[in-house]
Amino acid sequence: MSMRVGVLGIGKTPHKIQHEKSLKDLGVEAGRKAMADAGVDPSEIQMLYVGNVGSVGFNYENSTALMAAHHLGVVPAGAVRVEAACGTGAWALHLGCVAIASGLYDTVMVLGMEKMNDLATVEGTSIIAQAADSKEEYFSGLTFPSGTALTARKYMQAYGVSEEDLAHTSVKNHFYGARNPSAHLRFECTVEEVMNSPKVADPLKLYEVCPMTDAASALVLCREEILRAQPNRPQVYVTATSMASGTWYQASDTLDDAYNLFHRPATRAYEMAGVTAKDIDVAEIYNSFAIQEPLGIEGLGFAKMGQGWKGAKDGSTWLDGKIAVNPSGGLLCKGHPLGATGATQAVDIVEQLRGTAPEGMQRADAEIGISACRGGPGSVGAIHIYQRLEG
Amino acid sequence: MTVSAIEFTRLGAPKLHLFAMKCDKCKELSPWWERSHCYKCGHDTLTEFELAGKGEITNYTVVYYPPREFLGQEPYVVGHILMDEGVTLPAPVMGVAPDAVEVGTRVAATLRRMKLGHEGDIYYSYKFVVDDDPAPKKAAPARRAAAKKPAAKKPAAKKPAPRRPAARKK
Ligand SMILES: [Zn+2]
Repeated sequence: MSMRVGVLGIGKTPHKIQHEKSLKDLGVEAGRKAMADAGVDPSEIQMLYVGNVGSVGFNYENSTALMAAHHLGVVPAGAVRVEAACGTGAWALHLGCVAIASGLYDTVMVLGMEKMNDLATVEGTSIIAQAADSKEEYFSGLTFPSGTALTARKYMQAYGVSEEDLAHTSVKNHFYGARNPSAHLRFECTVEEVMNSPKVADPLKLYEVCPMTDAASALVLCREEILRAQPNRPQVYVTATSMASGTWYQASDTLDDAYNLFHRPATRAYEMAGVTAKDIDVAEIYNSFAIQEPLGIEGLGFAKMGQGWKGAKDGSTWLDGKIAVNPSGGLLCKGHPLGATGATQAVDIVEQLRGTAPEGMQRADAEIGISACRGGPGSVGAIHIYQRLEG
Repeated sequence: MTVSAIEFTRLGAPKLHLFAMKCDKCKELSPWWERSHCYKCGHDTLTEFELAGKGEITNYTVVYYPPREFLGQEPYVVGHILMDEGVTLPAPVMGVAPDAVEVGTRVAATLRRMKLGHEGDIYYSYKFVVDDDPAPKKAAPARRAAAKKPAAKKPAAKKPAPRRPAARKK
């Protein structure tokens, strides 16, 4: 089936540590920005899908979709919170797209939000570990960084890739992160600096790991006719949404599994949108740890297995390369506010297709974009394709 | 990573007694947590299969930022251990410096303190230490051979561990 869901409005908060703001404050800020951008009143929102992973742990509050509905003034619209590990924000977007595509609703809001810095890093690490089998597999003392470190070493072993080779991914992300006013980490770095940054979980080093971030991002989605009726607005549509699950265990997550986590839903998404990997101008690919970017590049079909790391080194995944991968700086620089991340990726791609990305980040003439979000040890893959489709 | 004492009495067995799950149909071994279906063929009946406790490091990481329950142990090594019976388990490896870990090192299971629970209680589980015994002949099916030989290094407390956790609190 083909699908066209209009993106009427977008909004996001800065991505950083924000001690002065609550989870509620962040959600309201992003939601209001998206409604203002869309030119809609809260009363026009018919359904609110909130992506939020860890409020019970991070903030000691639950039912955060109902909280957001009240404070955004969208009552009595239905509101629900969705959770699928780090794929949460993308899942909220999926539900929003399904709601519009089904014909049941005209206008809905998707809101991803997370407030991770009310607790110390050590507590946050434990909460994040609950997105894996923390009672059994991660009882061994594994954490998300160290679990992913095992994947990184597997990749290095299988393809004969060095730590220096992989470090180029962080260099590229930080080059753009330094230009992203919304990013948490805004500095450039060299391969040498990546290599010399402190070890987090060998072989992963600090510059290959995303920070814990407080942020929210929102989109107002609508039926195609509604956006068509406003030709002065940027005509950006979500043309594919495709979800998958994968393995729940690091120990059994092979490189093939990691590939398939994106390959399977991406294949369906390309079919749904009627495009191929070659048509994509710009991609936001989940990289809470640097190694996930090359894995994602391969899963999306931009490079063969074992070759995904090369683009950051030879330039082909830089802004003016064959395809621009993570011109936002990726999660490595934006940070990874768990439930917000998938929504932030969407907002960033929409900015690209509108031509309103910040200076130094805008892919020239971007018409087709893709976002790929993942979560758990290898547990959720989420693909969205976006297109600028003038009248 | 938080596990309550009550929950541990329910989930504790595999941490105190080393076994894998064997598919009744295709005989594939899975880690002990795969109790619902075989990861390889999908069959839904698996039986506990005793592991001799020896294997080798095939992959490893060093954790510098642990969760709270592991604070004070960092940096610690967590390896993927390919057991001689052919199943891979993640577990801490003790007695090896973080910069001296090597893929291919022979290791043997031992029962150690794993972590402190949030209620101040101590949790035990299997960890691995470097094993000086030679590897079983590579090509030969190590399965039976390894099972016959009693694992000398295992602490007395856990060898004949009952299937139900012995660690139940009074
Ligand atoms: Zn089987």
